[in-house]
Amino acid sequence: MTSPLDTTVCPRCEQSTVRVMTTSPVPGAWTMHVCDTCFYSYRSTEGPTATDPASFPQDWKVDPADIPGMLAMPPVPQRRG
Amino acid sequence: MAYADLREFLETLRKNNQLLNYSDPVRPEPDLSSAAAATTNLTDRGPALLFDTIEGYEQGKARVALNVVGSWPNHALMLGMAKDTPVKEQFFEFAERGEAFPGRVERRTDAPWQEHTLTEGIDLFQILPLFRLNEHDVGSYIDKAIVVTRDPDDPEHFGKQNAGIYRIQVKDKDRLGIQPLAAHDIGLHLHKAEERGENLPIAIAIGNEPVISTVGGMPLAYDQSEYEMAAAIQGAPYRIAKAPLTGLDVPWGSEVILEGEIICGEREIEGPFGEFTGYYSGARSQPVIRVTRVSHRTDPIFEHLYLGKPWTEMDYALALNTSVPLYRQLKADFPEVVAVNAMYTQGLLGIISVKQRFGGHAKAVGMRAMTTPHGLAYCKVIIVDDDDIDPFNLAQVMWALSVRFHPQHDLVTVPNGSVLALDPSSDPDGIVHKVVIDATTPISPETRGHYAHEVANPSATAAWETLLKGLIT
Repeated sequence: MTSPLDTTVCPRCEQSTVRVMTTSPVPGAWTMHVCDTCFYSYRSTEGPTATDPASFPQDWKVDPADIPGMLAMPPVPQRRG
Repeated sequence: MAYADLREFLETLRKNNQLLNYSDPVRPEPDLSSAAAATTNLTDRGPALLFDTIEGYEQGKARVALNVVGSWPNHALMLGMAKDTPVKEQFFEFAERGEAFPGRVERRTDAPWQEHTLTEGIDLFQILPLFRLNEHDVGSYIDKAIVVTRDPDDPEHFGKQNAGIYRIQVKDKDRLGIQPLAAHDIGLHLHKAEERGENLPIAIAIGNEPVISTVGGMPLAYDQSEYEMAAAIQGAPYRIAKAPLTGLDVPWGSEVILEGEIICGEREIEGPFGEFTGYYSGARSQPVIRVTRVSHRTDPIFEHLYLGKPWTEMDYALALNTSVPLYRQLKADFPEVVAVNAMYTQGLLGIISVKQRFGGHAKAVGMRAMTTPHGLAYCKVIIVDDDDIDPFNLAQVMWALSVRFHPQHDLVTVPNGSVLALDPSSDPDGIVHKVVIDATTPISPETRGHYAHEVANPSATAAWETLLKGLIT
């Protein structure tokens, strides 16, 4: 969680919470990005449907407003008294 | 036949021309998963794939093994059988070996994954060439690892320690998402840990000999040890070692051991992920693992499983795991059951061969399959055949369906049965009509059709099969 925030937008949830997760062991080959809102991750060498918010398929987008209400699987049980 | 580790099994595959070592450069996406899918699309006798030149990694420092048991020859070699062993013979061998449960475990302290240890600055992408499997997966996954947890209320009980396979999303360099469903043993462990307000220690063993990966997907009773079943299936004691941080028992021969905790009470968005049904499962809020210790061999092999539209390696890996328990449960009530092939989408469709006792008997056997423990979530379509049909030979099954099945008399529909929610036809999720398709020959008192004069093979066919087998293979 120490990597600097990337200024680009998450291709999936379109929040400005994308940061560099890691880079390739052989320098310069690729960069992995991750979104701290929806945990979508992608490699810089993937195609635009994976890396570019405008090209990311609409069907697979996530509205950040829907995330808190998502079904918990499994649900968190009550603590024992 | 017992393989010490993944490397020894890969060497056996190589000697049997069932390993393709691909050394040209490949991209993590989409080459690796595409190659795995292409192999199972092309043939059911294909090789395992071993890649050692992956973009972004030094050649040989990061290796990916795919389709390790992704074909019938590889499955036979896993069982120590000749690679051309027919599936039906593998089925009966697998069923017989399971009778030796519980086998013994061999505790060792010299595991090869002790070579390297990492407790700070963990970055899984530097150790393993992680990659996206299917285009719309949320990210990289680990989906063939042996995941080990203990019962927090009974931590010393060896049998209640669970070693299973679950889908794991790599969310960050040292943070994972996992899907421990309530019905899974790990789900019960997590439930108890969260009731106690505790994190659940977890060990994730990546890159294993194939038997424990097979048993990891087997529906055992809660207090039955997967390691003791692996010993029974491989016919030799199963080697295990203590993971250093958690004390959990992990396979001796693994390539990489991740240790950490499932964080109590925490849920985070996970998915989508392309599933074994051939459809994606959507995003849900699921538990999270913090990884705090990594042990690994030098230049570890990342063994991974391509999952997607069947058939994939998972269909081979789970084929007999699914078929054998169903066979044994049916056989307990109906000894006339000859064999069960429930390897289509983990048994959503199953084929049963039975020596029918009287008219209507086959339909009863088919309906019983739906009420077995596995059948409650699967067995949506059951085809019942006579005992002269090999249920693993689809040409024979289709022949019986085409000539012995009468749509007016032989279709039994069971409305609104239970099924796993991942079945995309279920509506609402988890509810679906089920059918028995009776493709057996009508017998008394159900006399109809014209079945008196079936053609038999010429009299010396069996002898010629034996003679030709050595000449044409």
